[in-house]
Amino acid sequence: MTIDERELAELTQRSRDVHADAMHEAREPLAEIVEVGREQRSRNELDPEVGRVFATKRNARLGKGLGLLGGVGIGAAILGLFERPAFAGKASDIQMLQTAASIEVLAIAAYDAVLGLPFAGDLPAVVQTFVTTTKDQHAEHLQAFNAAAKALGGAEQTMADPALAPVVEQAKPGLTGPGPVLDLAILLEDTAAQTYVANVGALEDENAKKVTASIMGVEAQHVSVLLAVKALLDGGLVDQIALPPSDLGALPAAAGAVGFPNAFYPTELAAPADQGAVK
Amino acid sequence: MTQHDENQHEPIAISERQLTQMTTHLEEAHQATLPVMHQAVAEWDDRLRSENTPDELAEMRAKFGRPSRRGFLIGAGATLGGLVLAACSSDDDSTSSGSSSSDTKASANSALATDLKIAALAAALENTAVATYQAGIDAATAGQLGTVPPAIVTFATTAQQQHKDHAAAWNAIITGAGKPAVDGIDITVNDGLVQPEFAKVTDVAGLAKLALALEDAAAATYLSVIPVVSDPGGVKTAATIQPVEMQHSAILNFVLGQYPVPNAFAKTDGARTLSDKIG
Repeated sequence: MTIDERELAELTQRSRDVHADAMHEAREPLAEIVEVGREQRSRNELDPEVGRVFATKRNARLGKGLGLLGGVGIGAAILGLFERPAFAGKASDIQMLQTAASIEVLAIAAYDAVLGLPFAGDLPAVVQTFVTTTKDQHAEHLQAFNAAAKALGGAEQTMADPALAPVVEQAKPGLTGPGPVLDLAILLEDTAAQTYVANVGALEDENAKKVTASIMGVEAQHVSVLLAVKALLDGGLVDQIALPPSDLGALPAAAGAVGFPNAFYPTELAAPADQGAVK
Repeated sequence: MTQHDENQHEPIAISERQLTQMTTHLEEAHQATLPVMHQAVAEWDDRLRSENTPDELAEMRAKFGRPSRRGFLIGAGATLGGLVLAACSSDDDSTSSGSSSSDTKASANSALATDLKIAALAAALENTAVATYQAGIDAATAGQLGTVPPAIVTFATTAQQQHKDHAAAWNAIITGAGKPAVDGIDITVNDGLVQPEFAKVTDVAGLAKLALALEDAAAATYLSVIPVVSDPGGVKTAATIQPVEMQHSAILNFVLGQYPVPNAFAKTDGARTLSDKIG
C-alpha cells in the first residue's frame, strides 16, 4: 500500500478535532429545540384556550364517543392541539426526525456488519478508516435526530428503518467482496442523503430543519467517497485508493467527476416521512 | 505493477471505458434530477402569482423589467447585483409605506424581498465559482500550472458546469420575480479571496486549495440561509445544491490528501452574507 499509516492516523485525529467543533455547533440548534419544546409543552398543559378550542370543535368533529375527554383538561388540550396546524406540522416533523434516526440506526448496523466480514482486514487502509469514521459519524447523526425528536415531544427511535432493513438483510449473503459492500453502502448513504434533502424542504420547525440540513451534505460526501472508491476498484486501480492519492496522473479522466454525478441532489429515493416513525 | 508509464495503458483503457459508461449513466441520472429543481423554481413562481394580482405582477415587471438588464450593467457605475439588492430593498420600502397593503401582505413581501436578496447572493457566488474554475482551466491550458492530470481537468470542467446550473436555477427564480438575472460575481469574495490567492497559485494543489475554499464558502452559505429563506421553493433549491457543493469539497479534500469527510455536521463557518458586494 502507498498509504502512510502515521499520516492517516494524524489526519483522522485532526478530523475528529474538527468534528468535535462541529458537534459544538450542532448543539446550539438542539438546545434551541429543547427550549422551544419545553415552552410548547408548558403551553399545551396550561393554556385554557386550548381546552376551549377543543370543546368547540369536539361535537362537530369528534362526536359523542370522545365526549368523556372533554372533562379531562390534558386530554382536551391534546385533542385540541390536533386541530392546530402548528401541531400537525410538529407531528410530521417528529415523524421525519424519527425516520431519519431509523436510517441512521440501520447505517450503523450495516457498517458494523462490514467490519465483521472476513475480508474487512484486507480492504485498503483508507477504506477501513472510512468505514470506522463514517460509522461514528452516523452515531452522532442518530444522537442528533433523536435529541431533536425528543425536544419536540416525540420518542427516540432505536429501531432500524423497517423498509430498508430487509434490503440489508437480503444483501448480507452476497457481501463476499468489496464491490457488493460498496453497492450496499452507496444505497444506504444515498437514501439517507435524499431523505434529508427532501425533509429539509418539508420540515416546519426551524431547528429541526437546521439539524437535518447540517447532516444531509455529510451523507452526500459519504456517497462521493464511495462512488470514487467503487470506480477505482472496478477500474483495477486499487493502488490509487490512498490518502494522499499515489499518482493523480495515473487516474483516468472520467474519475474526476464520478463522485458528484448530479448538479442538484435528487430526492426520488427519499423515504416517506412516516416510514421509520415510532409506532 | 512496476512503472506507471509502462503499464498504465492497458488497465486505464479498460477503466476509462468503464468509468465513461458510469459517467454516462450518471449524466442521465443528473438529467433526471433537473425536474426536481424546476419544480422548486416553479413553486416559487406559483407563490408570486398567488400572492400578487396580475396588475401587481405587471407593475413589478415594469419596475424591474428584464429589458433594462444591459443598461444596468453599464449604467452609472452601479453593479448589477447591487441593483438587484437595491430593487429588493425598494420592495421593502414600498410595502412598509404603502397605504393599501395589509400588514400581512407587507410582511409577505418583505420576506419575499429577503428571499430574492439571498437568491442574488447565491447566483453571484455561483458565478464567482464559475469564473474561478475558468481562470484555473485557462491557466492550466497555458501551461502555468505544470502537468495537470486529466482527472483534475474533468473535475474542474464538471464542477464548473454544475455551478453554471446552480446559477441558472437562482436566476430563474430572480427573473421569475420580474428582476434582472444576476450575471455578476461576489466582489467581496473575489477581492478578498480569489484574486489574492489565485495570484499565488503555481500548481494543481494551489488551485485545489482555492477551489476548496470557494466550495466550502458556498456550502456554508446555503446551510446558513436554509432556515432564513421563507419560500418553500427557495428552501428546496438551496437544499438540493448544498450537498453537491459539499461533494465537490470531499473530492478536493481527497485530491489534497486530506480526509474527505472531515465533519459529522456541516458548518456555517465562512458563510457569505447579504452585505457582500455583488457586481
